[in-house]
Amino acid sequence: MSELVKIVEKKPIPSGATMLYGLPDVGLVGLIATSYLISELDLEEIAYMDSDLLPPVVVLHDGLPHAPLRIYGNKNFIAVISELAIPAQALHTVMRTLVDWGETKKVKMMVSMGGIPIENRQVITDLKVYGAASSKELLDMLSKKGLSILKEGYMVGPQALTMRYCAEKKISAIGLLAQSFYNYPDPEAAAMTLKELSKITEVKVDVSKLLEKGEEIRLKARDIMKRTQQEMTRMKKSQEYDLPLYV
Amino acid sequence: MSERRRKRSIFDLMSEYMEEFEALADELIEGTFAERPSWNTESCCLEPLCNVFVTPDEVVITVDLPNTEHETLKVEALSEDLIEITARMKRKMRFADFGITHREGEFSSFRCQTRVPVSVDTKRMKISFKHGILEIRFQRKRGHEIKVE
Repeated sequence: MSELVKIVEKKPIPSGATMLYGLPDVGLVGLIATSYLISELDLEEIAYMDSDLLPPVVVLHDGLPHAPLRIYGNKNFIAVISELAIPAQALHTVMRTLVDWGETKKVKMMVSMGGIPIENRQVITDLKVYGAASSKELLDMLSKKGLSILKEGYMVGPQALTMRYCAEKKISAIGLLAQSFYNYPDPEAAAMTLKELSKITEVKVDVSKLLEKGEEIRLKARDIMKRTQQEMTRMKKSQEYDLPLYV
Repeated sequence: MSERRRKRSIFDLMSEYMEEFEALADELIEGTFAERPSWNTESCCLEPLCNVFVTPDEVVITVDLPNTEHETLKVEALSEDLIEITARMKRKMRFADFGITHREGEFSSFRCQTRVPVSVDTKRMKISFKHGILEIRFQRKRGHEIKVE
């Protein structure tokens, strides 16, 4: 683990759990889905990230200071969320530290929830969820559950790095990517990823409350969406739209 | 000995230039997103998220307007290239609704102004409002065709 980024544990960490990532990205899909899961499953804060690479931001909850990137969990799940858009230049170190840490806790699978931006999102009512995985067996498993696979193309951002680092270390990792808005918070896409998550893992969550609070979430998520937009520009997220040169 | 010093200083110079250049580029990016809050207590307005897309034929402006009364939506061209969008919220929001107790204020509407980067015909615009997303389409002004020899 690099000295620049540390994970500080507050409580004992379960072994063999499923690790979920909900970092700010396209449509804030991962963040909205993971924070909803944390409140529905009543997960408690078990660790947080301490790093000089992150801007000097502290989140106040009930008057007490908390790190913006926190890890919640119970005996079956570990969930990573960040109330701060991770600066593009710190991404590699932050993701590597998270994956290394997950490896030491012997997580059985890492799941990244996120969005695939589409142009005409507001006219689509039936959102499709695509799958990505770190190994052939996992890709086959996702296909059997009815997910279309991202066969060719580019992936940019935290879930892209998670996928690659896990493939390197032979840790099971999957990505659930729902069609979403690029620049606007998308609670419906988050609900779709949670529905697919419940088909693949043992987590069963009722998304009806999430859909009801949809407008409120979109209102409250404006500022973090704006900051995430800036970071997405810096990490050149638009490369996901590029047509690949297949060699 | 002096040759080694010269080689090192060239690389140092190059990396210094790169750092300065990156810092300037960062400043430019920061400058376009000015550090001001997305809320305004004097006008009781929140600033909605807004994006401008330029295509070869049109300019499309999309604005995310959750919790809005459709009928109160107003789109106004303040000048050739400045568009203002206002809408009333269905339900007023206060700082306390966001959990903030150290500020006082109430918000009852959305308001934002965007600049259109290319020349468009502001008198003809197509507006649609679906699922809380406002979409405004402008036709781009076309010049004259240049013959290819």
